Parts: sequence; C-alpha cells; structure tokens
Amino acid sequence: MTAAQPPAPNEPPPPQRGQTLEERGRDVSAAQAEVEAETSKVKQYLKAASPRFLWQMAEGYPVVLKQFIQFCLIIIYPAWIFFVIFAAALHVLFYVTVYPVLWLLFWPMRAYQKKHHPEEYAESQRKK
Amino acid sequence: MGLFGRSGGVRIDVVPQVVRPRQTVTATVSVDKPLDKVTSARLEWGYDNFYRYHWAGRADSAAAAGNDTLWMAGEVGTSYGSERDTDDWVCVTRVEVPTATSEFTQASASFKIPSWAPGSSPQVARWGCRLVIDRGGRDVDERGEFQVVIGAGDVDAVEEPMERYMGNGDTEIDIVIPSPVWRAGDPITGHLACRPQQDLPTADIAVYWQREREHHPLERYPGQGGSLDGPPLHLGKKIPMHGGTEFGLPFALPLPADAAPTATAVHSSLSWFIGARIFYSGFTSHQIERVRRPIVVVNAL
Repeated sequence: MTAAQPPAPNEPPPPQRGQTLEERGRDVSAAQAEVEAETSKVKQYLKAASPRFLWQMAEGYPVVLKQFIQFCLIIIYPAWIFFVIFAAALHVLFYVTVYPVLWLLFWPMRAYQKKHHPEEYAESQRKK
Repeated sequence: MGLFGRSGGVRIDVVPQVVRPRQTVTATVSVDKPLDKVTSARLEWGYDNFYRYHWAGRADSAAAAGNDTLWMAGEVGTSYGSERDTDDWVCVTRVEVPTATSEFTQASASFKIPSWAPGSSPQVARWGCRLVIDRGGRDVDERGEFQVVIGAGDVDAVEEPMERYMGNGDTEIDIVIPSPVWRAGDPITGHLACRPQQDLPTADIAVYWQREREHHPLERYPGQGGSLDGPPLHLGKKIPMHGGTEFGLPFALPLPADAAPTATAVHSSLSWFIGARIFYSGFTSHQIERVRRPIVVVNAL
C-alpha cells in the first residue's frame, strides 16, 4: 500500500515478510483436518472418537504446558468417548424426530423450487 | 554497573539520534575497560519488530472453539488471553568486528538507512544498532537506539481506490483529498462528495481516521489484526438526502500529533485510512454506510 520507492542498487533488499492470518488459512491439527475433510458423518464421529484427535488438541502449546495438557486429555478420554457417543445420539435423535417433521412441512416449498428453479434446487440437494 | 548489571560497561552512541531513510547513522562503541577472551564480535543494524501472535495451542482447534462456547459465553469467539504481544530482532546489515587479539576495546560503524525502512513507532519498529560479543566470560548483547522518521519525500504513494466496507450503497460517497500523503499532527483537508441514489431519510455524516495494524510473523501464528477508529468529526446532522442530487461537505480532520507512520516490516505492518460514515435517521431498512480511502501517514517534513 505504501508503495515505498524501489530499493536503490547499493542498499540491502527488504527482508522477506511473513504471512497474515488470511494468507495462512485455518490453524488445525492433522487429526482435526482429517475429521473436517471426512464427508461421511459416521466416519467423522469414529475419527473424532480416536484418542489421536483428542491428544492433538494439545498441539501448539509451549513445552511443559503441552505435556501437562496431553496428560489431562488422556485422563479425560473416557469422558470424551461418552461425549462423542452422546453427540452422535443427539444427531441421530434429530434425524429421527425433528427432521421428518421439517421435511414434511417444507414439502410444498421444495416441490415449488424443483418446478420453477431446477438448477437452484439441484444445487441445494448436492452433497457438500 | 551494579553486581547484576548486564551492560558490562559497554556504551553505544548513535549519531544522529533522528534520521530519515537514505541518511547515514554512525555508531561508536566504547568500553570502560577492554573485554578479554573475545571469540567473535559483530555489530548488527536493524530493528525490533513489534507484533502479536497466538501462543496458546492451535487457533482453530476444536478445543479452542469448545472453550469459547462453553466457558466464555460472555465473550464468544474471542479465545481471550491466548494472544500475546512480543518483538523480534530483524537484522538488516551485519558488520563483523575483527578480534584478532581476542580483546575488544572499541568499534564503530556507519549504516545507510534503506529507502524501504519502516518508521520507528511503538506499533511496528524500534531501530537500533546491536553489539553482540561472544566471549569466554559473560557475553555482551547491547543496543544503541535511534529513531527513523519518514518524510513526505521518502514515500512514493499512489492514489488508491475507495473501499466500501459497510452498507449497501444507498448513497455514493467519494472522499476527495488533494494528496494521499499526510503528516502526523496536520489536519487532513478535503471534501466528501455524496450522491444519494434515491430519496433517503435525513442523515448524520462524519469522517474519521482509521489505523489498521496487521501481524504477519515469519514463524509464529499471527494474532488478530485490529483497526482503530479515531474520534468522528461531525460534518452535519439531519442533512436532507434527496435522490439524484449531489453535494459536497468540506472537512479538516486533525491527525494525532504522535501518529505512527505507515510502515511495512517483516512481522507486522501499519496502514492508515480516512473513513466516512452515514447514519440515516429513523428505524428504517437503510443500513449504515461506511467507506474508506487509504492514505499514507508520515511524521517528518
């Protein structure tokens, strides 16, 4: 933005600058990236239940603190498994109870969109 | 020098204390008594670069998100406390000091400030000459500071386009300023050209300066950048906005006298804008309009 004048031939070149938050992208561990990339919900829950996923939440902390957090994470692993099963159960419960009602409720709207805006409808039904 | 003093009786005098890009500074190192058992000595010219980084874990980890939503419901999404301010030394030029006799008595070096040098400011850089001596006893790491000020002649600023960052353009706003370069402490003079696209409610129009700081460390994960809006200068309240008309509002917006110059460094950068905003009266569907135009702030004549 400043557009400082080009470096003169007898001066050192400007040092390489780093990357901003936007240029870097999301900062997640390898295990979390795998879970996020997974399209199948069942596999996503299975991968999130792996100890590796929980263990890698300690990544990026300074030494000592990281080992302490890993220790704490191992201790709470049974609770984590319970949490994942509970979340999965809620997920299933939603699709059994609320989803069919909404699906029925919005039938006329979907039918209308399908008839009058077929491209948009196809796009909305595409699995992301 | 006390018992735990770290200076080791080393003084670095830098003259002149205030310089501009393309000027030369000279540092003279003197010691109270010669340092022995010296293995190597060097003078480094550069700056301490101030920036903010994320220290606590990975910024977007599931744990951080869970932490935000569960424990800090009052401050959702802030991950409060996981960022920290710091500074790193950026070496521009290194001068080896010959230590053939493994004794250090004095040294001096001069340095031409590069044209791209970021100006000294508490937000970006603190320039200095650093003396590093590796020796058998206690090592020496001392620095003599100087200030780099940026003048209007040191920047090659170009007119940058306007940028709308809020609102849906019910009024076209143009900030007309004679030059993109402004000096700290001087008022920014210009005028605001407003073109309402339709009949709109009366408006409250103001201009303000905006300072934006961005962090881009080489290794650490950057902290959130932030922008600071200056106090608004009200150009008028209840201004009638008739569709299809055009009117101009002159302004003289003072810049703070200690405004840090626009700068780009290795780990952080600072940019300045002049912003304008419109609040429409009434509880209507007309959104707040905010536009801004990049400017370059300098702090020397």
